[in-house]
Amino acid sequence: MTATIAQPEVGRARLRKEDARLVTGRTRWTENITLPGMLHLAILRSPYAHARITSVNTAPALDRPNVIAAFSGADVAETQGVLACAWPVTEDMVAPTYTPLAVTEVRHVGEPVAVVVARDRASAVDALEAIEVDYEPLPVVLGLEEALAEGSPLVHSDKGTNKCYTWIFDSAEAGTGGNAVQAEADAEVVIKRRYVQQRLIPSSMEPRSVIVDPSGGEWTMYSATQIPHIVRFLLSATTGTPEHKIRVIAPDVGGGFGGKIGVTPEEWIAFTAANRVGRPVKYTESRAESMVSAHHGRDVIQDITLSARRDGTLTGVSVKLIANMGAYLGVVGPGVPLLGAFMYNAIYKVPAYRFECTGVFTNTTKTDAYRGAGRPEATYAIERAMDELAAELGLDPVEIRRRNWITHEEFPFTTVCGLVYDSGNYEAATEKALSLLGYDDLRAEQAARRASNDPVQLGIGVSTYTEMCGLAPSRILGALRYGAGGWESATIRVLATGKVEVITGTTPHGQGHVTAWSQIVADQLGVPFDDISVLYGDTRVANKGMDTYGSRSLAVGGIALVNACEKVRDKAKVVAAHMLECSADDLEFTDGAFRVRGNPEAAKTLADVALAVFTAHNLPDGIEPQLDSEATFDPSTFSFPHGTHLCATEVDTETGQVKIRRYVCVDDVGKVINPLIVEGQVHGGVAQGIAQALFEDAVYDESGNLITGSFAEYLLPSAADLPTLEADRTETPATTHPLGAKGVGEAGTIAATPAVVNAIVDALRPRGVHDVMMPCTPERVWRAAQDGSGRGSS
Amino acid sequence: MDFLRPTTWADALSAKAEHPDAMPIAGGTDLMVGLNFGQPPPPALLDLTAVGELAGWDRDDGTIRIGAGVTYSQIIAELARECPALAVASRTVGSPQIRNRATVAGNLGTASPAGDAHPPLLATGALVEASSVRGTRVIDIDDFFLGVKRNALAPDELIRAVRVPVAAGPQQFAKIGTRNAMVIAVCTVAVALDPVRRSVGTGIGSAAPTPRRAVEAEALAAANLPWSSGGALAEDLARDFGNRVAAAASPIDDVRGTAAYRRHSLAVLARRALQWTWAEMTGGPR
Ligand SMILES: Cc1cc2nc3c(=O)[nH]c(=O)nc-3n(C[C@H](O)[C@H](O)[C@H](O)COP(=O)(O)OP(=O)(O)OC[C@H]3O[C@@H](n4cnc5c(N)ncnc54)[C@H](O)[C@@H]3O)c2cc1C
Repeated sequence: MTATIAQPEVGRARLRKEDARLVTGRTRWTENITLPGMLHLAILRSPYAHARITSVNTAPALDRPNVIAAFSGADVAETQGVLACAWPVTEDMVAPTYTPLAVTEVRHVGEPVAVVVARDRASAVDALEAIEVDYEPLPVVLGLEEALAEGSPLVHSDKGTNKCYTWIFDSAEAGTGGNAVQAEADAEVVIKRRYVQQRLIPSSMEPRSVIVDPSGGEWTMYSATQIPHIVRFLLSATTGTPEHKIRVIAPDVGGGFGGKIGVTPEEWIAFTAANRVGRPVKYTESRAESMVSAHHGRDVIQDITLSARRDGTLTGVSVKLIANMGAYLGVVGPGVPLLGAFMYNAIYKVPAYRFECTGVFTNTTKTDAYRGAGRPEATYAIERAMDELAAELGLDPVEIRRRNWITHEEFPFTTVCGLVYDSGNYEAATEKALSLLGYDDLRAEQAARRASNDPVQLGIGVSTYTEMCGLAPSRILGALRYGAGGWESATIRVLATGKVEVITGTTPHGQGHVTAWSQIVADQLGVPFDDISVLYGDTRVANKGMDTYGSRSLAVGGIALVNACEKVRDKAKVVAAHMLECSADDLEFTDGAFRVRGNPEAAKTLADVALAVFTAHNLPDGIEPQLDSEATFDPSTFSFPHGTHLCATEVDTETGQVKIRRYVCVDDVGKVINPLIVEGQVHGGVAQGIAQALFEDAVYDESGNLITGSFAEYLLPSAADLPTLEADRTETPATTHPLGAKGVGEAGTIAATPAVVNAIVDALRPRGVHDVMMPCTPERVWRAAQDGSGRGSS
Repeated sequence: MDFLRPTTWADALSAKAEHPDAMPIAGGTDLMVGLNFGQPPPPALLDLTAVGELAGWDRDDGTIRIGAGVTYSQIIAELARECPALAVASRTVGSPQIRNRATVAGNLGTASPAGDAHPPLLATGALVEASSVRGTRVIDIDDFFLGVKRNALAPDELIRAVRVPVAAGPQQFAKIGTRNAMVIAVCTVAVALDPVRRSVGTGIGSAAPTPRRAVEAEALAAANLPWSSGGALAEDLARDFGNRVAAAASPIDDVRGTAAYRRHSLAVLARRALQWTWAEMTGGPR
């Protein structure tokens, strides 16, 4: 039998295999899982941003109905473990002890203080009010510059400072470029701007949820996490529980956006609680809890300086950041700005570059990765500043980019940071986007509206971005002092009937890995798409993995997958040759089968070989009766997707209301495995990027209460707020690995924010406006339009 | 917590008389949000959704009588011609899911200064029909809002219906929000023209402790609009009208916007609403 695959699976717009169960919710969300004898826990959280805990009395809670246990941080101080930061970015980084339950002091509103375990969730929640806690309020510090000022209240008084670290990259010192300070001194034009990345709250459909089952001297944790492998490692390392006794399962996970990259107090508390009661314990956060206690994102002040010649050529870029860590360090929190450190030079030929970031503690929820992690910040600052440079020189924003970008003949290109961009075609993506938008016509309309003093002005925003994806080469992570590697693994199991199970060390939580991995394997092994299962997220099934974040799954895990498939083919080929009574060298794998060169009818499919291997009645000497294989891939470099996003906004100068009239994006994410998935990722990403530009803002009052703690005040966009996305692509494959894919998970988020704000500023530029603070609310836009002060602050 | 579910209006009124502290529930889109956020539960819920009499609207002599159970979706689908401002406002409420459940009576029950139905009801001179076992009275919408989230209903009363005059001329509703949907308004304005009586009605929301009319602005416009000629609306008049609407407000600073911005945008929205309605009536340029 010589079944052939009709057409390549890679590149097909396949509907996602996993969607039916995910969108109906009839699946294994952690909250859907009920174990025998399971109890429920609820967490009492601090109402103070900073206070000493003078006493906690949990005893009254024990008298409440259905309550099994109640305890405070002090009760479990010896056993609760700590939450480790895996990224000490500098040798002298200040890393305060971070315990799951506060013991002597609380440092942000929402910090866990005590726990009730009960037979049902409602009883546990109700019993919280019986716990008595005495607090002695301490001074609070919230602002970044205030925290660094002399005499500021200290978040961690024992550390003597609110400064966490200062990390510097200087191309002159690194030998990768010139001296940016000198470049500024010599520049014909200097643009200095301050941008503020507001604090954001990663918001996924499924809140965090965790169950710990301590039965049988082993610990099984089900957690709505993006990183089960890292959770397992750190749980073992910080609680002294042997790694082989811990199994972490991320069942189906309903979104993450970085918000579920974390080793969280709640996971550790569930572990402690389960150990205390000796039964499985579940915790699922409410949305309100999620908003104050799950990590936040961004919250960075950026000072950027561009040095240039009068013709618009960049001669240097310097960047100084102050990044808010919050009260404690997230698992990769301090490293987030570093992920952007090498991206402020973006797609441009920058001869000299200096980057400095200072991390700061404040009495706020900790920050950590949020979709794009460091790279949206970088792209925002450089793309906003490039528009400022264009305006200063009277150039069109597209023209300033043309004069500075790396042209397609110049790849591979070594940047001022020492990274090698392997491939790209910024001209092609930009040309395509401009023609899709009808750029010249809109510029003409803009001119007409300006001339007639139309109260509704038109603005066009340009954002040409690249990002480093495919996190990450382990050696580079080591050089950046990150605590783990960046490799990824894949395993192929060939079943007797020729069906295939694929195991990936990545941890999908909505992206569509099951579908994409099936498409790749289908082509690699000649197995029908439907005959492939993809397993993931359970450390006992996928024992090796670095999980999913940083647009890495396909760009790293996909390569491991291709390599594992190659190993299967190599093994199978030997058996196929034996079956066809020819030499393995006479076989080639084409059209989904091993075929004799010159006689394609003589062929064996993987299924034929699998059955022969299963019976093992007639295998060549010395051949093991199995075809399974495993591959681990450590990338040699990052991948660099890029694209051009154009946004046309109508700005009502009388009310400040902004309407996105058109949004065109042309992304180049390298080889596309499934165009539908790519488009979905771009859509969601752009929505989140627009949301930062226009809507989302986590705001604290002066005593450190989050006043945007529900979706009534924290404004996620709805369909009514988003434009029709006109999305297209160019395809410039990655040259550094066999798949050619570059990653798409973060692209839209990175590109969209500056596109929108550039458009708003462009609309108001004749009024002297050069910035509007994000989110660009109607009031801020109106203020900017009125006073031309350029910031529209308040 | 008791749960009362009468199936007739008479039973609903006696239930309310027996349990004056029972909280009526219609769409539940205000009430349930409060409960979920930990507001102390009322001793009893009085579910009105099974009371058939409340479900529809009827027309009586130039007035539309909108039953307390009528949802925003129904108003949008069925009453856009008769009650244009209310229909436009209804379209801006929440999301399709919310509009399928939520009612104007519930909006009045909550009596939030930000309730989107209120400005159109004020601008059109609506009447609230309040009933109890003691009988029925009709409350002028002007007298209905007493303070922040306080209304004129007695403890034993329920809203039976809202009576809205069939529009005699063009009406508009305009809203500024920090998002296009699912958002509490920064400010709202409704304007209703009545060419027969040569009067102008207004209502403003999120602009004061209660929704209210801008009476001076109404008088200014009524006296100065070129009713007889049907000529163009003078720019100055439109601006003065807007400024007087803004002057009627006593807004606050909050997380959604400052008082200054609210006052400013009320002036802009009111000016535009007058321009749009006048243009619609006279066929002139907007
Ligand atoms: C996501 C979301 C978005 C929203 N967006 C908007 C918006 O854009 N604009 C807006 O104005 N509102 C909005 N709301 C608020 C709410 O939907 C409205 O106020 C709605 O009109 C309430 O109607 P309901 O039938 O759901 O009222 P319920 O919640 O059932 O009741 C509200 C109050 O009215 C009382 N009540 C109900 N019926 C009667 C009656 N017959 N007699 C006496 N008292 C009664 C109740 O006891 C309660 O106090 C939103 C709510 C949500 C959850």
